[in-house]
Amino acid sequence: MASLPKRIIKETERLVSDPVPGITAIPHEENLRYFQVTVEGPEQSPYENGVFNLELFLPDDYPMEAPKVRFLTKIYHPNIDRLGRICLDVLKNNWSPALQIRTVLLSVQALLASPNPNDPLANDVAEEWLQNEDNAIAKAREWTNMYASKQ
Amino acid sequence: MVYSAKMLNDLSGDEDSVELEFESDSEFNDDEYGEGSDTSDELLYKNDKKKTDYLDSINQKESLDRKPLENGYENDGVPRLTYNCLTTDQIYDLVLLRLDRIQPIFDCPYGDIIVMLQKYGWSEERLLEDWTEFEDKVLISCGLKVAKQIGCSRGLQNHPDFLCHICCESNKRKSFRLECGHEYCLECYQHYIKDKLLEGKVITCMGCSLALKNCDIDAIAGENSSQVLMRSSIKGFIQKHSNHYKWCPFVDCNCVIQVNNISTLSEFPRFHLSPYVVCKNHHRFCFKCGLESHAPGDCQVAEVWVKMAQMESANLNWVLKNTKECPKCGVNIEKNGGCNHMTCQSCDYEFCWICELCWKGHGGGYYECTRFKKDENNGAPETKNSLRKYTFYYKLFSEHENSAKLDWALGLAVEQKVKALQENIGLSWIETQFLPESIRALIEGRTTLKWSFPVAFYSDPSHNLTKIFVDNQALLVGAVESLSQLLQVKEPQDIINRKLEFFNKAKFVESRNKALSECGRDLLCKGICIARTT
Repeated sequence: MASLPKRIIKETERLVSDPVPGITAIPHEENLRYFQVTVEGPEQSPYENGVFNLELFLPDDYPMEAPKVRFLTKIYHPNIDRLGRICLDVLKNNWSPALQIRTVLLSVQALLASPNPNDPLANDVAEEWLQNEDNAIAKAREWTNMYASKQ
Repeated sequence: MVYSAKMLNDLSGDEDSVELEFESDSEFNDDEYGEGSDTSDELLYKNDKKKTDYLDSINQKESLDRKPLENGYENDGVPRLTYNCLTTDQIYDLVLLRLDRIQPIFDCPYGDIIVMLQKYGWSEERLLEDWTEFEDKVLISCGLKVAKQIGCSRGLQNHPDFLCHICCESNKRKSFRLECGHEYCLECYQHYIKDKLLEGKVITCMGCSLALKNCDIDAIAGENSSQVLMRSSIKGFIQKHSNHYKWCPFVDCNCVIQVNNISTLSEFPRFHLSPYVVCKNHHRFCFKCGLESHAPGDCQVAEVWVKMAQMESANLNWVLKNTKECPKCGVNIEKNGGCNHMTCQSCDYEFCWICELCWKGHGGGYYECTRFKKDENNGAPETKNSLRKYTFYYKLFSEHENSAKLDWALGLAVEQKVKALQENIGLSWIETQFLPESIRALIEGRTTLKWSFPVAFYSDPSHNLTKIFVDNQALLVGAVESLSQLLQVKEPQDIINRKLEFFNKAKFVESRNKALSECGRDLLCKGICIARTT
C-alpha cells in the first residue's frame, strides 16, 4: 500500500488525542483509510440515548475528494436511506478540502438533530415526517431503542 | 449578422437551402428575431447592434442570408427558422463583448462581473434585477466580498517554510491566499482547481465561500486555465437552455446552433417537416430531435426506427456492417470505399455490395436491389415475414450509414485533392469547389437514402404512392452510386477533364434527393407511412 499522506496521519492522531464528544472514529488495523465510527444520538432528538455505528472511507484523492460515510445501524431518518446512505451537502457538492473527518462527523450528528424532510433521500420516511410528524418521531425513537441501544 | 436556412421542402441539402444572400444593414430589422426569442435568461440580446456586428465578423466568409420575413414564415406559410452557428468560445466572446456595455452599471472590475454572471447562470437580467435591489447581498453571495475585513493581501505568496493545512506538509515555499486569509500551498490549490475546472461552477477558496476570479485561476493553475472553466460553464448554460441551443450531433463537431425564433418550432410537425439546421461544418441535423437529417422521414419515423434498431442485438449490427463473402469465390471482403460496385480482388467478379448479385444488371441506372420482394413462400408465418422485412430494410439502412461514413473520409481525401489541383495545375480556389460540392451532394443523398428505408418500411406497400416512392429510391441509389464511383477518380488531370461530369452527376443527385424527400413527405402527409412501435 502506498504510504499514508501526512494529512491523514495528522487527522487520525488528533481524533485519538482530542476526541470529539459523542463521536469515536477508529482506523481499521489493515486499512488505515477505513474507519469504524460511532455517533451518539443528540440530546432532545428522537435519536437520544442511541449509539449509531457508521463506516467512513477516505478515497485516494482525499482531501480533494470527500470521505465516503455510511450508516451501518438501521435508522429512521428522512435523509438516510435503507442502505445507510446519507444525503448531506458537505459529503457531496459542498465538500471542501479544508473540512476534516471530525467536521464531517459533526455534520452527521447535526443532521440527526435536525432532519430535513424537504430534501429527502428516503421518500417514504420523509412523507411520513411531513404528514404526521409526531408519528414519525415516535417511530424514530422506537427504531433507536430497537437497533441503537447502548447495550 | 444573422443567417438562416430556408426550411422549405428542399431537404435535399443543396446549397440553396443555406445559400445566403447579402443583406444591407439598413434593411436589418430586429424583428427578425421573432417573438419567442426574448426569454428572460436569453444570453444574447436583441436590439444589440454590437452582437450583429460581431456575428458578422464571425461569419464573414459565409455571409449570409435572404431577408427573413417578420413573422418567421415563408410566403407559402411554411415555417422557417432563423439561427446562428456558434462555438462555445464564440458564445463566451459575445458575453465578453456585453461586458463593455454593462460594466458602467456595476462599476466593478471585469473579473468580478464574470464571476457574478457565472453564478447567475449567465443571465444578465436576473443579475441586474438583484443588483439594483441588494448590491451588497449579491457581492457576498457571489463570493466577492469578505464578511469580515481582515486586511489580507490577495495572491501568490513566497515563504521560507510554510505549513499547509490541507496536505499538512511543511517546508512549502509557495502558497496562495485570498482576502479572507485562508492560505494553502500552491500544489494543493493546483490539485483543487484542476478537479473543478470541468465542473464549470464558480471556484471558491477552500476555506470559505470567497470566489477565485479568472486571474487567480490563471495565476495558480497556469495561463488559459480559466478559459477551460469558462468553456465548461458555457457548456452548462447550453445544456440548460436546450430549447434555444443544440449541439451539433456529429462526432468531433463543436458547433452550437442557437435558434432565434423558437416559437416557430411547433409549426413544423403540422407540415411533416423537420426543423433542419446546418452547422458551419456543413452538418445538417434536426433541431427538434437532435438527430442527423432524417428526411424523408419525420422525427416520429426516426424515433421509432432508432428505438427498434436498438432493440435488435448489437451482434446483428456488427455482422451486417463488416465483411461479406464474394458471391463467386467466397473470399472475405471488407468494404473500405464508398462505392457499392465491388470487384473481387481475387476472382475479378463484379457484384453489387447491397444485393450481392452480379453487377451487370445494375448498369442502367435502375436499381432493383432496393425493392423488397415479398416472401415467395406464402406459408411463412406473419411475424417471421415482418422480421424478415425489418432485417431487409435495416440491412439497407446500415449499409448506407456505413457508406456515408466512408464518404466523410472520402471528403477529407478530396480536400487533399483540391489542394493538389491548386498547387500542381494552378487552378484557383473557386474553380476547384465543384469537388467539395459533389461530396456534399453525395453525403446528403446518402443520408436521405438511408432514412428513406425506415419510411419504406413503415409505409403501406400496396399503395401506389409507396410504389412511386420505391421507384424514386431506386433512382436516387443509381444517382448516388454513379457519383460515388466518379469520386474515386484519383488522377488530378483526369478530375479536371471530367469536371462537367462531376457537376452534372452532383446536380442529378440533388434533384433526385429532392424528389425522394418530397415523395416521402407526401406519404407522411397522406397517412400512408405511419411509424408505430410494435
